[in-house]
Amino acid sequence: MSLPVLKVEGLDKSYPGVHALDHVDLDLYEMEVHGLLGENGAGKSTFMKILSGSVLKDGGRIFIHGQEVNIANPQHARQLGIGMVYQELSLIPELTVAENIFLGRWPRRKIFGGIDWPQLVARAKDALDKLGVSINVKERVSNLGIGERQLTEIARAISMNVKIILFDEPSSALSDEERERFFYMIHALKETGVSIIYVSHRLSEAPRVCDRVTVLRDGKKIDTLPMDRADEETLIRMMVGRDVGEKFPKDETKEGKEVLRVKDLTIYGRLHHLELTLHQGEILGIFGLMGAGRTEFARALFGIDRIDEGKIFIEGRRVGISSPKDAIEAGLGYLTEDKLDGLLMQMTIPPNITLPSLRRFCKFGFIKHNDEKETAKGYIEDLGIHTPRVAQKIEFLSGGNQQKVALAKWLCSQSKILILDEPTRGIDVGSKIEVYRLINELSKGGAGIILISSELPEVLNMADRILVMSDGSFVAAYNRGEASQEDLLRSVVAKK
Amino acid sequence: MDKQSSRPKVFSLEWLKSQVATRQQRARLLIKTIIVAMGGVFCYAVLIAPGFLTIGNGINMAQRMPSIIIVAVAQTLVIIGAGIDLSVGAVMAFCGSLTAVAFCYWGIPVWVAILLGLLSGVTIGSITGLIITKGRIPDFIATLGMMVTVRGIALILTKGLPVPSHFTVVRLRAYLPPQVIWLGSGRILGIPASLIIAIAIVVVGWLVLNHTALGRSIFAIGGNKPAAILSGINFDFTKIKIYAISGLLCALAGIILIGRMNSANALMAGEINLQSIAAVIIGGTNLFGGQGGVIGSLFGAGVLSVLSNILNLHNVQDFAQDVFQGVVIIGVVIIDQLRRRYGR
Ligand SMILES: Nc1ncnc2c1ncn2[C@@H]1O[C@H](COP(=O)(O)OP(=O)(O)OP(=O)(O)O)[C@@H](O)[C@H]1O
Ligand SMILES: [Mg+2]
Repeated sequence: MSLPVLKVEGLDKSYPGVHALDHVDLDLYEMEVHGLLGENGAGKSTFMKILSGSVLKDGGRIFIHGQEVNIANPQHARQLGIGMVYQELSLIPELTVAENIFLGRWPRRKIFGGIDWPQLVARAKDALDKLGVSINVKERVSNLGIGERQLTEIARAISMNVKIILFDEPSSALSDEERERFFYMIHALKETGVSIIYVSHRLSEAPRVCDRVTVLRDGKKIDTLPMDRADEETLIRMMVGRDVGEKFPKDETKEGKEVLRVKDLTIYGRLHHLELTLHQGEILGIFGLMGAGRTEFARALFGIDRIDEGKIFIEGRRVGISSPKDAIEAGLGYLTEDKLDGLLMQMTIPPNITLPSLRRFCKFGFIKHNDEKETAKGYIEDLGIHTPRVAQKIEFLSGGNQQKVALAKWLCSQSKILILDEPTRGIDVGSKIEVYRLINELSKGGAGIILISSELPEVLNMADRILVMSDGSFVAAYNRGEASQEDLLRSVVAKK
Repeated sequence: MDKQSSRPKVFSLEWLKSQVATRQQRARLLIKTIIVAMGGVFCYAVLIAPGFLTIGNGINMAQRMPSIIIVAVAQTLVIIGAGIDLSVGAVMAFCGSLTAVAFCYWGIPVWVAILLGLLSGVTIGSITGLIITKGRIPDFIATLGMMVTVRGIALILTKGLPVPSHFTVVRLRAYLPPQVIWLGSGRILGIPASLIIAIAIVVVGWLVLNHTALGRSIFAIGGNKPAAILSGINFDFTKIKIYAISGLLCALAGIILIGRMNSANALMAGEINLQSIAAVIIGGTNLFGGQGGVIGSLFGAGVLSVLSNILNLHNVQDFAQDVFQGVVIIGVVIIDQLRRRYGR
């Protein structure tokens, strides 16, 4: 076999209380897509970040084309031909899409060395066209949805013309259609001689793109397998260390009284006459492609965006909701699509979990720290949050574990109505099942749940009823078991 | 290999090598060295300072510290809430002057005058908070505007003269009330009363920040504003509360200050803006909000006070003292940044 493009030997990294990488070996060949799998906190991102120069290794050796290198920082990594798409998006919100794609590499004008705007815009358009997406390159990133941000980030990595691209959960926020195009893009890249390391929690993606997979568990490498010997069951067993059983545990629930009724909700130009009802114990799935207006609907309901028309009834009574505070007081909870909107990175786990329900943890205005800690401990166990201690700062948790904390926060809020926008994004297989169990428990406890998801199997298996959304309207409704994947996809497209 | 046995003996050459194996370890070692060196220089300067360890000097320092400690507590709350208060000095001067004017010129009973001073502080702070939240103006600009405005009002109020003053005929009383003097320079069991008040305020500040819902809200709005709002925290109201508390504390510091100086004037407390911010930063609070605490700020205030005291004792010229202070502030912030990047 030819010389590997990249060879990693005994890579080692520790953080206080965690051995994030324990002597990990890996090799990557030319034109190979190498999957890197593992539970939340297994060390995948740490591994990638060391290769991309944003984290320094404690020990081990890295060879590129047989030559040992000591990667000092991201610029150095890029010079060595390594580019990365980070799990936590790393775009600058205040800049435009075009500026972000060519961040620090802006095309210069010959005279005066100013930025050559026309060329910048043209090249950015070109990079996005290759991905087959139409995002206005002059739009500010802060105005983009999370999926569009992810695409921008991917375009940036691809446009760097590097030889090795590290993708850390690049597709978690993409719709199925975009994902297809992205996979196509990966194949095209491969043809041009690029090698790729690919991290994902969607195991079904692995056979689509990967040639080989390496599984990490608790910082240790379990094994590397060629893709044809690695079926889903095997991979899960390697990742989790046991069989996980039923992937979508869904309990029958009794539908109770109506908890939420939305009538004629409209935001001019974006959401059109949305109507829905939600009952106690019901899980209502909302399915749609990116940009269909699902997140906008959730934001409107939660009082973040002002609604132009429409009425909201909770338990039969009309309520006026003009801020998240009103919404929470009315009994709503909202797990946002973007976890950064929900977490205090510099604070520890317990205060983050209790933030919306702090009143319950207070006596005479003083916080009952013990109660708070015990509650947090409970969620850490239930959700399998991988952390060396309860009082760990959020910024030091792995991406998936952060998402779990964000989820725990709303599970803890005891809301009557819970809007979950992509609750299992970035969460590993084993923990997903745990999340579904908790959702079940909540609905059995009488909460009404709105489950927004672009993962079809999740909606199909977990929801009692499914609304399909397209272009700001609900275009179809199905009861549990009535619809197949094809039905849902067809009704999304039909309206268009 | 067994990890225990493979670990080299502490302070042997191998140990030293293993300590500087990676860039991170080298950085950590560098940070430690700088901290120890700075601490060493500091202690040395303290020990050789003529008369530092005398009781008189101790009392002198203890009497000067309370205002800056109290204002540093206020500034800590503001900065943790991702704000900054540039009006602290002006508010001190105004509230101190108002108390003095109310007593000396308007003939108001002493306790009412003090209450008036404190209330004016709360009012000014609330107005600042309202301007920031309802006017959607950055904290920096709003408090800068308040600083100038409030100073101006104080000058109008005192006609630019010290209070009480021999040059004006409107005065009813030509002295400050003994209660106020006691606040500034009285002692309890030999300890300055003002210092006891200041320490009590640090304790209360610590309680509020770490054990109450208000404190949690302050950390939340400073750490991640959207997250705080999405979690149902009333951003505007929290911000207003922070500035109201800051106003109150500044007023108290102002009254203590006039008590110590035995006179009020509209231009006093000019250097406290910078000093309070410096104390907070030296104390490890994140200048961008969401992280920190009052205990650190107490430490920071202490360092600054001792620094200026020993510079005085060494007879360092006033202007050069500013240079020293500036260098210390920048040095501490650099170390703090390094520490954040490379860990302890
Ligand atoms: N800066 C840090 N400080 C302390 N601990 C850290 C830091 N970064 C990561 N860790 C810890 O290292 C471990 C590995 O984290 P890593 O981000 O590599 O996981 P991951 O495999 O990418 O997980 P996920 O699927 O959730 O993204 C985790 O236990 C995490 O808590
Ligand atoms: Mg990760």
